[in-house]
Amino acid sequence: MRFAVLPLVAFALPVAVGARAAPLDEAGTKALMKELDDRQRNSGDYKAMVFLERKEKDKNDLVYELVVYRRDADDKLMMLFLKPKAEAGRGYLRIDRNLFMYDPTTGKWDRRTERERIGGTDSRRQDYDESRLAEDYVAKYVGEEDLGRFKVHHVRLDAKSEADVAFPIMHVWVDQATGNMLKSQEHAQSGKLMRTSFYPKWERMFSPSKGADVYFPREIRIFDEVEKGNKSTIVIEQVALSTLPANIFTKAWLEARSR
Amino acid sequence: MDTLRLIGAMAWRNLWNAKGKNTLVGLLMLFGTFLVVTGTSILDSIDRAMTRSITQSVAGHLQVHSKEGRDDLALFGSGFMGADDLGLMPDFSRVKQVLLGVPGVRAVIPMGTDFFDIYTATEMDHAIERLRKALEAGDTARVDLVATRIRAMADLLRAEFGRRKQILRNHEEIDQHLAVIDRVRGDGFWNALRGPPSADDGTAGIEFLDTQLAPLVDENEGYYLQALGTNVQEFSRTFEQFELASGTMIPEGQHGVLLNQKFYDDYLRNPVARAMDQLRDDVVEKGKRIDEDPLLRAKVGRMSRQYRRITFQLDVAQSERLAAELRDFMPGATGSIDDLVQRFLQVDDSNLLPRHRFFFAEVAPLIRMYLFPVGDLITLRAYTRAGTIKSANVKVWGTFRFKGLEKSALAGGHSLMDMMTFRGLYGLMTEDKRKELAGIKEAAGLKDVDRDQAEDALFGEGAEVERKVEPKAGFDEFRGVDLAASGRSDGNGTFDPALVDKGLAMHAAVLLDDIGRIPEARAAIEQASEAAGLGLKVVDWEQASGIVGQLVVLVRGVLYVAIGIIFLVALVIINNTMVMATLERTMEIGTMRAPGAMSGLVRRLFLLETLLLGLLAGTLGAALGFAFVTHLGTAGIPAPTDEMIFLFSGPRLFPDVGADNVIAGLVAIVVVSLLATLYPAAIATRIEPVVAMSPRE
Repeated sequence: MRFAVLPLVAFALPVAVGARAAPLDEAGTKALMKELDDRQRNSGDYKAMVFLERKEKDKNDLVYELVVYRRDADDKLMMLFLKPKAEAGRGYLRIDRNLFMYDPTTGKWDRRTERERIGGTDSRRQDYDESRLAEDYVAKYVGEEDLGRFKVHHVRLDAKSEADVAFPIMHVWVDQATGNMLKSQEHAQSGKLMRTSFYPKWERMFSPSKGADVYFPREIRIFDEVEKGNKSTIVIEQVALSTLPANIFTKAWLEARSR
Repeated sequence: MDTLRLIGAMAWRNLWNAKGKNTLVGLLMLFGTFLVVTGTSILDSIDRAMTRSITQSVAGHLQVHSKEGRDDLALFGSGFMGADDLGLMPDFSRVKQVLLGVPGVRAVIPMGTDFFDIYTATEMDHAIERLRKALEAGDTARVDLVATRIRAMADLLRAEFGRRKQILRNHEEIDQHLAVIDRVRGDGFWNALRGPPSADDGTAGIEFLDTQLAPLVDENEGYYLQALGTNVQEFSRTFEQFELASGTMIPEGQHGVLLNQKFYDDYLRNPVARAMDQLRDDVVEKGKRIDEDPLLRAKVGRMSRQYRRITFQLDVAQSERLAAELRDFMPGATGSIDDLVQRFLQVDDSNLLPRHRFFFAEVAPLIRMYLFPVGDLITLRAYTRAGTIKSANVKVWGTFRFKGLEKSALAGGHSLMDMMTFRGLYGLMTEDKRKELAGIKEAAGLKDVDRDQAEDALFGEGAEVERKVEPKAGFDEFRGVDLAASGRSDGNGTFDPALVDKGLAMHAAVLLDDIGRIPEARAAIEQASEAAGLGLKVVDWEQASGIVGQLVVLVRGVLYVAIGIIFLVALVIINNTMVMATLERTMEIGTMRAPGAMSGLVRRLFLLETLLLGLLAGTLGAALGFAFVTHLGTAGIPAPTDEMIFLFSGPRLFPDVGADNVIAGLVAIVVVSLLATLYPAAIATRIEPVVAMSPRE
């Protein structure tokens, strides 16, 4: 299905890059969001080793190592925890709008919502998945701002009524020079700020299946704005874009890993 | 002696002469005494019942927990949501050893309290999971069986969404759902599912059921279990109120839970069966009427909307048979099994009882009456203090109750879990785990960034946000990783029973040989804990019972305040009456003083009059109180609320009256009366003889 967007990407990229000069009109803002999505999407498969850490006041730090598999063309995602030993084999499987969690100690699958805190951290499924901002949200340009030494576009995003997302309102800050999202703030429906995320390092890798670079954030720093002092960090340590086994996005495959 | 006899005779004569006023004062004294005898007897009985309820169900006589905990122990709830932070006793065996060395300590039982999710899935999810396993195992007979079931449920869903389409505006979405349902109802879908695997992953059919059909069923609800992790066997032997209600005791060295029968009936029973019984109780036992009570009507509405809790459990043959029976039972009723059951559940005052009988005779045998039966393996899930999820499959060995407290929701709050399972679900951070996490963290080499400085630290001078990396051939994510290390909990594992005492406990119950020696034992345990460096906080059962303990203090306070007010009123009334009587007796007192009667004689006369009246009225009042409490001791006082059932240690309190209650009543009324007489007596002593000789106006 998503292969159909490839010609559009080729067209949209120069438009969007050209449109990065501020300020942006409605079409430019929409193109900017679409570019954010498209540059992170791979037409083939995607595999990443991820380090995930959560720090909370008065609690032991949580640390995980997990592998993330994606097949964007089929809207499928699998996350499999590898370390520590006590969590090894636990996993999440997303197919369409369904998010399932597997617990190897009980052998049970459970339906989870988009608000699921992955591994008890502040991260959500969408932090590991393909970017779908243009699909799930309506963008509105807020203005030009400075973020450290970077000139950025500030865009407000409101979830479309049919979208099933963890946060109904988002604000994103996109680097004018590179087109990378550097910061996002997620709000509840009431407008209350829930968390702030920073994306200080982006890497791009050539994808033979896409015929273009695929972008991914090497590091995401998430700060809980409700429980001040709580924070989570996602580090994408390695990425591979080679083809994954055909049956990898199934419950049976994940169950078999921990047998 | 002669003077005393004279004063006595005068006092009797005076009491008799003013019998109208003295009867009034006497009645007041009688009522006061009655109230003291009755009130203290009932309060003492509640105290004893409550002591039994709390000490012999969960608390023991004393409880100990770490001083490092931020919250106070509240066994029956603190009034706040969430588990309390009581700190931890990392090595219970040491605590037990030290405490058993304290004279008078009979037993020390390890405990830990937490809330757990009971894993549940919808009937559809269950069926799809069974179908997946049957397909994986190549069990065609089971595939056919489950397929029939799923198609029957799809038929019911078709009817449900058809009805929704008539009501709702968003036809487009409903049509999409109907297309999904119709695909599952068709033969083509099942032929493809049973046929050779398709080219992609061979499970497209199951995935379709799992991701497209199953989300259309929305009847799943959460169940929470409050469980007390403990040495279950020792608990059952030590706490006298404990009684196994069904199933068997967890064998030593085996994992498992014993569910509280009250919890099992109130929360895990089929909601339709539960609602049917509640409605019958409301109408038959409490005399309510559905047509007059909006709450009962709402209950009926909720019950009828639960029809799928019945219909989804029926196979095709059962469904057809029940539909025929319902049509016979409700002449004129038509429609699908869904329609018939829904109509059947819309009960009113005229048909409730026959439908209740029909339900339990004809419908109940066809369905699962509990979320799971005794003997089943259930999955429990805990959210650890660190925020991670821990799960375990645990066998339900049986149900239990606390004798006399079967109907008390407070006593029904705790179920029991073996200590080893509790510790596993608690997820204590061990030194090994800490080292493992430190190793993972070190390998990642991540620098910490503070929220306030994040923008400068991440995007300040020298920051570069993008770089190109060369594609790699790939990586082996499973190198050096053992995914089976977390271990499958099949619920049948065993453990060395000696390990129950060796490990963490959150708190512990201490049982004494003599309940009367709680303060001394508490002091001795504090001393022993200090000497052994255990860092324990020791609380008595009343403090440990949390909100219930506060309720008891409140009840006791209210009763004492009521008695205090009665006596204050009595004191004022007696005082006023006596002052008035004194003023009316001015002539008499002046005449007494004229021949030389000393003021002391007058005071003694007044006090003696009150003493005689007090003794007479007090004795009558105490006798009435004694008779009343004795009657209540036979008839019982019904407990109007769940909390009172717990305080009464049963649905009725049977109070008894002791000599101490009678003596307390008598002494109290005499003392109060004498105090009330001091002032009028003082006035009387100040009356001069000349006043008696003055001509009356």
